[in-house]
Amino acid sequence: MVAIVGPSGSGKSTLLNLIGGLDRPSEGEITLDGEKLGNLPDDQLTRVRRDKIGFIFQFFNLLASLSAAENVALPLHLRGWSRGKVRDRAEELLELVGLSQRAEHLPEELSGGERQRVAIARALSVYPPVLLADEPTGNLDSVNGAGILALLHDLHQRLGTTILIVTHDVTVAEGCQRIVTLRDGSIIEDRRL
Amino acid sequence: MNRVALAVLLCASAGLTQEVRGIIEEVQRRTRSNSQRYEGTLEVMDSRRRITTKRWQYERIGSFGESKTVLRFIEPPEVKGVALLVHNHKERSSDQWMWTPALQRDRRIALQDRSTRFFGTDFSFEDLEERDVDHYDYKLLGEERLDGAMCWKIESRPRGSKTSQYTHSHAWVRKDIYVFAKVEGFRDAALVRRILYRGYEQVMGIWTAKELEVYDARRESRTVMRLEKLEYNLPLKEEDFTLQALRRGP
Amino acid sequence: MRMLALLTWPYVRKHRLRSLLTLAGIVIGVAVFVGMHTANRNVGSAFARTVDRIAGKAQLQVSAGETGFPEETLEKVQSLREVGAAAPVIEAVLNTGREGQGNLLVLGVDMTGDRSLREYDLEDEDVIDDPLIFLAQPDSMIVSKQFAGRNGIERGGKLKLETMEGEKEFTVRGIMKAEGLAQAFGGNLAVMDIYAAQLVFGRGRMFDRIDIGLAEGVSVEECRKKLEALLGPGFQVETPSTRSGHFEAVSRALGITINITSLFALLIGVFIIYNSFSIAITERRSEIGILRALGASRGRVLGMFLGESLAAGLVGSSIGIWLGLLLGGAMTPVLGTMVQEVYGAPQAGEGSEAQWWLIAAALGIGMLASVAGGILPARAAARVDPVKALQKGQFQVIAAGENRMRRLVAFAMWAVALACLMGEGVTFYAGYLLMVTGVILLTPALAGWLARALRPALRWLRPVEGALAADSLIQAPRRTSATVAALMLSLALAVGFAGITRATYGSLLRWMNDTLNPDLFVWPTESITSRTFRFPASVEKELSEIEGIEEVQGVRNARVLIGGLPAMAISVSIEISSRRVPVMAVEGDPKEMLPLAAAGKGVIIADNLSRLRGLHKGDMLELDTPSGRTRLPILGVTVDYSDQQGAFLIDRSLYRKLWRDETLNGCRVYLKPGASEEKVKAEIVKRLGSHRRLFIFTNEAIREYILNITNQWFGLTYVQVAVALLVAVLGIVNTLTVSITDRRRELAILQAVGGLRRQVRHTIWLEAAAIGFIGLVLGLAVGAVTLYYNLEMLKRDAIGLLLPFEYPYGFAAALLPVILLVSFVAALWPGEAAVRASLVESLEYE
Repeated sequence: MVAIVGPSGSGKSTLLNLIGGLDRPSEGEITLDGEKLGNLPDDQLTRVRRDKIGFIFQFFNLLASLSAAENVALPLHLRGWSRGKVRDRAEELLELVGLSQRAEHLPEELSGGERQRVAIARALSVYPPVLLADEPTGNLDSVNGAGILALLHDLHQRLGTTILIVTHDVTVAEGCQRIVTLRDGSIIEDRRL
Repeated sequence: MNRVALAVLLCASAGLTQEVRGIIEEVQRRTRSNSQRYEGTLEVMDSRRRITTKRWQYERIGSFGESKTVLRFIEPPEVKGVALLVHNHKERSSDQWMWTPALQRDRRIALQDRSTRFFGTDFSFEDLEERDVDHYDYKLLGEERLDGAMCWKIESRPRGSKTSQYTHSHAWVRKDIYVFAKVEGFRDAALVRRILYRGYEQVMGIWTAKELEVYDARRESRTVMRLEKLEYNLPLKEEDFTLQALRRGP
Repeated sequence: MRMLALLTWPYVRKHRLRSLLTLAGIVIGVAVFVGMHTANRNVGSAFARTVDRIAGKAQLQVSAGETGFPEETLEKVQSLREVGAAAPVIEAVLNTGREGQGNLLVLGVDMTGDRSLREYDLEDEDVIDDPLIFLAQPDSMIVSKQFAGRNGIERGGKLKLETMEGEKEFTVRGIMKAEGLAQAFGGNLAVMDIYAAQLVFGRGRMFDRIDIGLAEGVSVEECRKKLEALLGPGFQVETPSTRSGHFEAVSRALGITINITSLFALLIGVFIIYNSFSIAITERRSEIGILRALGASRGRVLGMFLGESLAAGLVGSSIGIWLGLLLGGAMTPVLGTMVQEVYGAPQAGEGSEAQWWLIAAALGIGMLASVAGGILPARAAARVDPVKALQKGQFQVIAAGENRMRRLVAFAMWAVALACLMGEGVTFYAGYLLMVTGVILLTPALAGWLARALRPALRWLRPVEGALAADSLIQAPRRTSATVAALMLSLALAVGFAGITRATYGSLLRWMNDTLNPDLFVWPTESITSRTFRFPASVEKELSEIEGIEEVQGVRNARVLIGGLPAMAISVSIEISSRRVPVMAVEGDPKEMLPLAAAGKGVIIADNLSRLRGLHKGDMLELDTPSGRTRLPILGVTVDYSDQQGAFLIDRSLYRKLWRDETLNGCRVYLKPGASEEKVKAEIVKRLGSHRRLFIFTNEAIREYILNITNQWFGLTYVQVAVALLVAVLGIVNTLTVSITDRRRELAILQAVGGLRRQVRHTIWLEAAAIGFIGLVLGLAVGAVTLYYNLEMLKRDAIGLLLPFEYPYGFAAALLPVILLVSFVAALWPGEAAVRASLVESLEYE
């Protein structure tokens, strides 16, 4: 688990977006699993994103019209999985984040913590090797934030997923094995705990 | 169509003084006949010097003021058989009919604006009317020699209610044989039409011009008319000058 | 104004495409309005101009309907002291047979008659080389300089035209200057000697018209009264301008159609404006919030948006007017040909003419429509709460009460509309307006409901993309409903027209099957409706002597005036009809009415004449004929589609007596059983063809011909469909553009979690398809209502035809793939825009 910290405008989110293939670098290269992302065509990039990376956002970014289960199933459907397989996996993921009983609820009927759990379940869809989390607790109160943090730690342990967390929160950063500090777009400190 | 020529003379002349008027009356008296027949040739030459030729046969019965005429075209083939019947009246305009063989029907020719041209010739309808000497005022302008013959030059102006396309006209009358040598019609100062009479011959005691040339000053075109096989005072029948006769053909 | 320049212009520039699409709504509406009216007006004024030019200096014109009158009438007219000059005229419209040259109006004038009425000098050497040859040769013709130029004809050239005596070669012996008369009939004008024209067009010794110049000091009215007294009621004595006024009566049905189309087009424009403005205001909510926070009053905000809609209206109307004039110019010849085919009215569409009142009206209507579309969104903008507008992520939800209110109003409207069904005239049609308005009010609700119903289907099609597409529609019914409403209206109109076509077809076919049973039709012209050429009565006898022919029934159709309005007199031997043609009686017993009619004891009228004029069995039909006013009892009413203005059946002997007209429009021929159609046809051509112009149609050919004419009228349906499709494209592009803006984040998430571009596109396409489908479903439903009202209109006010209600299922079914395809096309660009958006920006986008 890696935390990326730094003041506003230091380039944390940009770094995350570059790693996640949401954005392209104007110079330099991003290599993921031996693949250079910079040169890939759009759809190829999407495939990398889909298979190797899961995103967790500060504002959850759930689709308001879809239920929790449907939101989780979204990336699976996009992969063209069969309906049965999608249903099974979605159930499994929701159970993993502890939300089985709220599967049919719409996002607006869930609490902030629950929404972030749904988002995490969606990010895990095919158990990607890397999870990218942009201020996952930034929009939550401390109790819910701690719960989410605990869940992320738990997943890291159980699934061995690499997790990159962009955060302001010192307590979040300190729970990680490595802390990278950025300022004005450059790494000024890289500390392993 | 000699009659046409005579009409031109008549409309264009007469005198203010009794004397001048007397000259015109003498012209009229000398050309009087009970009937007439001839074959005419008409050549119209337009401003672009294109010439069209027509031939017809002409017959008249009766004399001035109550004559009836029939005119049948012989050439060119396109108009062969077309015939005109004209009944002249003393106090009112003439009645005219036309027969077209291709349509097998006759039709009335309405009284036209008298300045319009008569079927593509340089004559106007007015030039064809028979006119009363009394409708004009005459004035002697002098004497002139034309083609070697001495002429009176006489001006005539329509009198009173009489309307004409010409404000006045000049006529040259030969002193030796009392015939017209030239007539010019004017609108104000401008020449509208000029008619020349040539080739005078005495036919059965009547001096007749065998050739007329009409010149239209506005369009700069000329019509030349020649008369052949001219005869006067033949025994023609009244019933040949009716619509029925027109339909029947010659 | 300053606010407009400051705030609106940058917005417009930023959303160039959407602004254009918004304008397009008004542009289409105004263009259709201007185009249709210009075309109609052009045709009308071309007719008036033709009448005018031909009339020359004539102050009055004497005619006897279409039947013409004997030559002797001229002398009678000339004998009147009040008449200064009188000139007879014959008019004939001939097919030039030249590609793209259309018809030629041939005017027969008396070349040796009174010239004072002519504004042209035909005998001038510049026109005719030799008047004598011209008169002597019946093949002589003068053509207009325009016509000569277009056809490369020179003086002395030949011109082949169809005449009574078969195809005949005319010699152009004169060319008219390109002014005055030569401009009549769009310049397709020729002049002949009237007596030659009589011969060539088989008119006998009849004239069509006498042009009259008044004697000095006589008033038009004075002379008119004298002439009417002299000639009796069978003649019309009219000024040239009254005469051209008849065109308007004739083109009334067309006028109604044009107005409905324009109204729909404008309504559609209103919806597109409404749509765009609603969206713009949603998007500019924060801007409005800032304005309000800075102290702009509600009135100021309202004024700003109304100003925007006015400006949009002005620009849109201007473009629309310009386009409409172009459209009108393009449509004029088409419409002209159509009117001529159906009514035989001599006119030719000429160049487009701008009309100030029309342009002013269009501008006014366009602006009004724009403001009407903009007023609700502007009011919504004024109501924006500055505090809420400035809070991020907070949406102001429209009061739920509004939907309930709409529903109430809509149902109330429907109730009133149902009550209006009992009414007549304006009340009746107001019912239609209420009905449609009710549906429009409910469109958001209906669209939402349909979208919900579609969701499972779309989900089944594409689990993610389909569901998202459906949800997009369900969540923002306002975004969709204006497009749906516009599409609905235009499709409803198309369905309405298609329904009439179908009903007309059905009825025509039934009528033709039942009553149109002669084996052959022998006509002097290739156009059965043209009444320019006629047979002499002797043709009937000549035909009946041919081997294999059992019976010949001569037909004389003539447009006559009943109570000042045109109707068609059909004169045949009713005795033959009673044996040959089954009668579909609406009133009266065929067994009684036919013998009476055959004996000349009265007439039988068509059901549409009955309906249009309120005439029934037992009433008296008052006819003005050349023999005076005649009152004939109506013996019965039958189903008869012969004429749009209404027809009546009169026995030929009676017609001949009253109208003194011996000519025939054609002959219906019944063959002996077993006789060979081919042999008889050949024999007819052999015996009559050599000296007569004739065309022989088989029963089948006639049917085809009638259906063809009907088809031309319903070409308008295709115009409607085209407009509907254009609206669909515009509306859908508009809606989707907004939809992808609204859903930027959603689409970005989709891509962030692994959606391929293809999949994003599919979502957009499916959304488009769903909009198209919903619009189609509603359009087909409203189309049924429209069709009902269309049929009622035809029955009550236009042509008196009673047509059954038959829904055009085939047409509706054909629309489905077309609309889906068009939706797809409309979605292509927005789809690309959606995948091109930057992911990072979109994800941060609030």
